[in-house]
Amino acid sequence: MTRKLLVGPFNRVEGDLEIQLTVEDGRVSAARANSPLFRGFEMMLQGKPPSDALTLTPRICGICSVSQSKAAALALGDALGAWMLPQGALAAAILHGVENLCDHLTHFALFFMPDFARPVYAGRGWHDRAVSRFTATRGAALRPIVEARAQLFHIVGLLGGKWPHTLAIQPTGVTRAPDARDRIRIQTTLRAARRVIERELFGAAAEPFAALQTVAALESWPGGDAALFNEISADLRLDTLGVGPRRYLSCGAYPLDSGRVTASGVWENGAVSAFDPAAVQEDLSHAWMLGDAAHPAQGATVPDEDMAGPAYSWCKAPRLAGRTVEVGALARQAVDGHPLAVALASEGSVRARIGGRLLEVARLLTWLDRWAAALEPSARFMGDAPATADGAGAGLVEAARGTLGHWLRIERGVIASYQIVAPTTWNFSPRDAGGVPGPVEAALVGCPVGDAESTPVAVQHVVRSFDPCMVCTVH
Amino acid sequence: MSQIETFYDVMRSQGITRRSFMKYCSLTAAALGLGPAFVPKIAHAMETKPRTPVIWVHGLECTCCSESFIRSAHPLAKDVVLSMISLDYDDTLMAAAGHQAEAALQDTIDKYKGNYILAVEGNPPLNEDGMYCIVGGKPFTDQLRHAAEHAKAIISWGACASYGCVQAAAPNPTRATPVHKVITDKPIIKVPGCPPIAEVMTGVITYMLTFDRMPELDRQGRPAMFYSQRIHDKCYRRPHFDAGQFVEHWDDENARKGYCLYKMGCKGPTTYNACSTVRWNEGVSFPIQSGHGCIGCSEDGFWDQGSFYNRVTDLTQFGIEANADKVGATAAGVVGAGIAAHIAVSALKSAQKKTQSKEEV
Repeated sequence: MTRKLLVGPFNRVEGDLEIQLTVEDGRVSAARANSPLFRGFEMMLQGKPPSDALTLTPRICGICSVSQSKAAALALGDALGAWMLPQGALAAAILHGVENLCDHLTHFALFFMPDFARPVYAGRGWHDRAVSRFTATRGAALRPIVEARAQLFHIVGLLGGKWPHTLAIQPTGVTRAPDARDRIRIQTTLRAARRVIERELFGAAAEPFAALQTVAALESWPGGDAALFNEISADLRLDTLGVGPRRYLSCGAYPLDSGRVTASGVWENGAVSAFDPAAVQEDLSHAWMLGDAAHPAQGATVPDEDMAGPAYSWCKAPRLAGRTVEVGALARQAVDGHPLAVALASEGSVRARIGGRLLEVARLLTWLDRWAAALEPSARFMGDAPATADGAGAGLVEAARGTLGHWLRIERGVIASYQIVAPTTWNFSPRDAGGVPGPVEAALVGCPVGDAESTPVAVQHVVRSFDPCMVCTVH
Repeated sequence: MSQIETFYDVMRSQGITRRSFMKYCSLTAAALGLGPAFVPKIAHAMETKPRTPVIWVHGLECTCCSESFIRSAHPLAKDVVLSMISLDYDDTLMAAAGHQAEAALQDTIDKYKGNYILAVEGNPPLNEDGMYCIVGGKPFTDQLRHAAEHAKAIISWGACASYGCVQAAAPNPTRATPVHKVITDKPIIKVPGCPPIAEVMTGVITYMLTFDRMPELDRQGRPAMFYSQRIHDKCYRRPHFDAGQFVEHWDDENARKGYCLYKMGCKGPTTYNACSTVRWNEGVSFPIQSGHGCIGCSEDGFWDQGSFYNRVTDLTQFGIEANADKVGATAAGVVGAGIAAHIAVSALKSAQKKTQSKEEV
């Protein structure tokens, strides 16, 4: 028996998303992801002063605005031949790390886990606990996490003035030079947030979690909501659900004076090869866009107002050397060579993605402590940027959801071209000219769908495990 | 309708103590600029009035308004989101998904016809029959019109809903259009800013829920209590402006000293908002405090005024300005013009009391 099923709009994701499923004999045989929201940022940026990118691109997304702002600053710096001063890069890393940490917390507590409180799981041994901890909008786990996030954003407020849509990150550093008092306040805030996160999420200190080496050790982790997730995952076999391409990309997170904190590369079959940004192409065959496949530095954004087939999404299809790659916390940690992440990367499942994210939360807590301690109030945090009439540049950063790239070209002092490839553009891309589905589309194949299900719960788990941010995807 | 519980009931059922509740009432009164005498009134209203249902819909947007809202410093503001006002329909936070969610929206509309507040985040794109923003298979414009039809009032959250914001930047590829140009027959309160300050959002919504009416609005339809003063008027760096002490380059000695950012393109002198008083992220800071000028994100058209780093020049008229509407219309970042003239005006102006045109709704 074959039936078509349209799942969407998805709730508890950022932005709008629809997925069309073909279901055969109770399993998904094909999936098409559609991002039904288009704004046209790349078109608006043309003809504007280059520095406007610093203000406009963060507004692509209210969730990861610091990532966008940092990518714009790096791209602009690349075009101008300017770099962040060491302490400026450090402050930018703190701003960015806090945002990524907060995104992971929201994803786990507010977006992903509430699905396990659904009535469809009533009777499972863990269901009562899932309901009391994670029922959407009222579970006991939600409030402390939301409060910890609000606290963590004090740091962004302190260093960046406001969040969302922080303005402080510039090509040569940050506008705010923290003093010694700010540094102490940042450290105090980190400590307070860490206490909540350790109590709720890990039931123990973050360090032993960050030091986990094997999947078996992860599975026997005893405390916090991480343990509850393990129990659910074992029962529902989330380690076999939603397997992605198992090819992962990371451009390396947090560029500091000493290099990027995590490694850059492409992980496949246990081996990491170098990431060549020149091998990125955006395929338009199944996007409502006109033009040919092109590298983002040469690409254009011309929406097809007829929305003609076979296209079915506003999302372009980025490919690396012609192939799909998955991006995100798991990709980042696996490329970086963390043993647990490498083991999870081979698995490539829903559980692996969540495990990768929890691992990154634990590691970020220790990194943030280190960075805050390294702030040097007497140093300069920003240099003067040279003006330029012509130039081209790229800015690559690791947003919470994965690799984010900005490519811009400046001609006669204004932006001639601006192209953005967001993490969810990689993960939720439509098919390419060869008919190869995007990572999520492929991961959904084989997913069980009950006869009576109109919003199949397994599909929800798979889609949410990627933490889609649709407003970034199509910008 | 008789079955709707009161706010207090809802809060109690969430395990919120009487003490926290009273604290909430007094801080709400303070945030709204009301005296201590209003605290029992707010408490009484919340104990006895059925809560007002809120439907929160999202058009073309970046979710920054929701993000701002959920980290308000307002005591229990998290409860405002997570339980209290009981957002009957909000597709970012709610539990239901897909068709279930669409059904929940319809149920809420039917159940509370004429009594609910519609909160709009983002705006509808009108090009190509609204195809650039599809919710549940239909253009967002349709959802908006449908939900607005039986709403008691509409809140336009943020610059998107109020004015169009960055997606309306030239050439406005999708023809993103502010809410009041699509819905013309309902009272609309604009809460501009990209995003608006969390405390402003919770203050507005609490006022409406508590007193069952709109707060006083200015001529642009903004709540006067939060948008009647310029960032510049209450800026902690204002003395440096008046003294002619300016940052000339990023992170120069003057920047370290916290001098005025006017020459770095700060739009504080032409921007009406509460950032310099309420501040951001639970009162921690605001952009000027982070060493970056204000970009004027709560003003109409802020996204298409030339570079954000060009200085505001036509300030001379502001000393004798009539109202915010005029300032909003003339605010522009054109390079040139002398700072000395403005400083003279500034001294003159400080002797004047600014008045705002207001109208009751």
